[in-house]
Amino acid sequence: MTSSFLSIRNLRKSYGEVVAVDGVSLEIPRGEFLTFLGPSGSGKSTTLYAVAGFDEITSGDILLEDRSILGVPPNRRNIGMVFQRYTLFPHLTVAENVAFPLRVRGQDRTTVKKRVDEMLALVRLSNFADRMPAQLSGGQQQRVALARALAYDPPVLLMDEPLSALDKKLRDEIQIEIRRIHQETGVTILYVTHDQEEALRLSDRIAVFNHGRIEQIGTGEDLYTKPATRFVAEFIGDSNFFEVATVASQSDGRARATLPDGTVMDGLVTHRATSRSERFELMVRPQWLSVVNEGGKGIRVTVNDVTYLGDSSSALLETSWGQAIWLKGPAAALRGLTAGQTVMVGWDFAKSELFEI
Amino acid sequence: MLLNYNQLGSLKYVLLGITGVICLFLLLPVIFIILLSFGSSQWMIFPPPGWTLRWYGELFDDPRWFEAAFTSFKLGLMVTVLSVILGFFASYALIRGRFAGRGFLRALFMTPMVMPVVVVAVALYAMFLRVGLSGTWLGFVIAHTILAFPFAVIAISNSLERFDKAIEDAAILCGASHLEAIWRITLPSIRLGILSAALFSFLASWDEVVVAIFMASPTLQTLPVRIWGALRQDLTPVIAAASSLLVILTLVLMAIAASLQKVLNR
Repeated sequence: MTSSFLSIRNLRKSYGEVVAVDGVSLEIPRGEFLTFLGPSGSGKSTTLYAVAGFDEITSGDILLEDRSILGVPPNRRNIGMVFQRYTLFPHLTVAENVAFPLRVRGQDRTTVKKRVDEMLALVRLSNFADRMPAQLSGGQQQRVALARALAYDPPVLLMDEPLSALDKKLRDEIQIEIRRIHQETGVTILYVTHDQEEALRLSDRIAVFNHGRIEQIGTGEDLYTKPATRFVAEFIGDSNFFEVATVASQSDGRARATLPDGTVMDGLVTHRATSRSERFELMVRPQWLSVVNEGGKGIRVTVNDVTYLGDSSSALLETSWGQAIWLKGPAAALRGLTAGQTVMVGWDFAKSELFEI
Repeated sequence: MLLNYNQLGSLKYVLLGITGVICLFLLLPVIFIILLSFGSSQWMIFPPPGWTLRWYGELFDDPRWFEAAFTSFKLGLMVTVLSVILGFFASYALIRGRFAGRGFLRALFMTPMVMPVVVVAVALYAMFLRVGLSGTWLGFVIAHTILAFPFAVIAISNSLERFDKAIEDAAILCGASHLEAIWRITLPSIRLGILSAALFSFLASWDEVVVAIFMASPTLQTLPVRIWGALRQDLTPVIAAASSLLVILTLVLMAIAASLQKVLNR
């Protein structure tokens, strides 16, 4: 078996009848920033906590540099973690908080002092060394928590939605900080979030979780341009889904399908799941859609609403069979649209993908 | 807000009046006893015909009073230490534990508080007589710890509930063992709860009289028992002086706790 830095093998975790993680396997190279993305209850946090070692897992294995860490208690795993909630020790100053893991390891005073200074400089909070946690903003507290988690040079840093309690502007700022700190330290990071934008912005690779399983793992671009399942297609980026009536395979492996209004499309990419479902949906990104000339290739829609968004505009449309869909495009291209109007919209059929549902 | 104090108009003065009357009602007996302890009348006539420190002199001249006060103090300290330690372990189990019957256990821990004291006293007395604990220090400490324990559990489990478990988890991931995390992180963080647990435990023992009467022996008496005994023998203003001291020490303790709380809260 090829050896990667951190390896999660067929991890399962159930609470009685409820299966939280259902056979997750991951190979993570050293220094990677890997994000677990998924809705709440999809098993991403449970997987992270299994690496931390707080909960006994039901079956599977977790290896760090080829050695199983399952038998190692959490305080001996030498793993860093930043939690969703603020977890600074309330009775200790910022410097004492960062020093805590070093003191526990019995390091001498001067080494600790030097390391604490380095860490506070890394998160740019050197001037706050003597503050109490209660005197810091939420963003500052999470940065101190990051400094504390990195102080002892852990091989792996776990981050469990560390920014979810912060407002949008602060989140953007700290994302840049996290990105920089990852580059400066080269630490391997497992990051949990339900925010796709955050995942796309931070990660080298993203593992999309759903129902305790990984739906797909890859770079943000992979997931967006080549979604493996309907769930991924819906979760990453915006999308319209058309239910299609009939599907026929073509000789080139692509498919032909018919929309509810009778429009026939050729050359569609298909994603067949294991189940032999007879129902398919066609995914079309809102920005693939554009207004075409009468009689062109496309479907007839009624414009319900047009929203100006600065650099782009979006339009809420209704198909002839009553489905609401989105169109997104340059503001200039949508300028002519008004509510109540009927137009033809089309897209490159070869780009759109069929998913089994 | 529905009831804004500043917009109540003349109703404000009615409320103020009611509050004043209630305060007076609560404080009057205490003020009364303190005034009497300085009164010159042997028969505790009110208002006192003159003022004197004579009763305090008699109080301090009688070593039995001092002994009783010292017994009370020592007992209070022992009960405080035991009740806080047991209270912490019990609270930790109740708040952090995940086992069946937690609610029942919690209710059980509260029973000494809700049960009529005299029932607890008679029950303990009957049992202690049988096992030879009646009239002993050990018996006294056990009995008062039982009474103090619910106060410690309430104070500590309240502050433990407000203390995020994730902070303890963070300490463990930082490399601390579970015990180390509790000792270095959890305990200091809930010190206010510990402090009020200690205060309430001490006071529960310090001014307790019913159980103490059953536990006491002629040679082992707490201050409230001594006051009670003296009251039944002869009604002298020395009792008023002793009671005043009891009240004052309690007030001093509360004041210390309040200022400590301010310092710790930073």
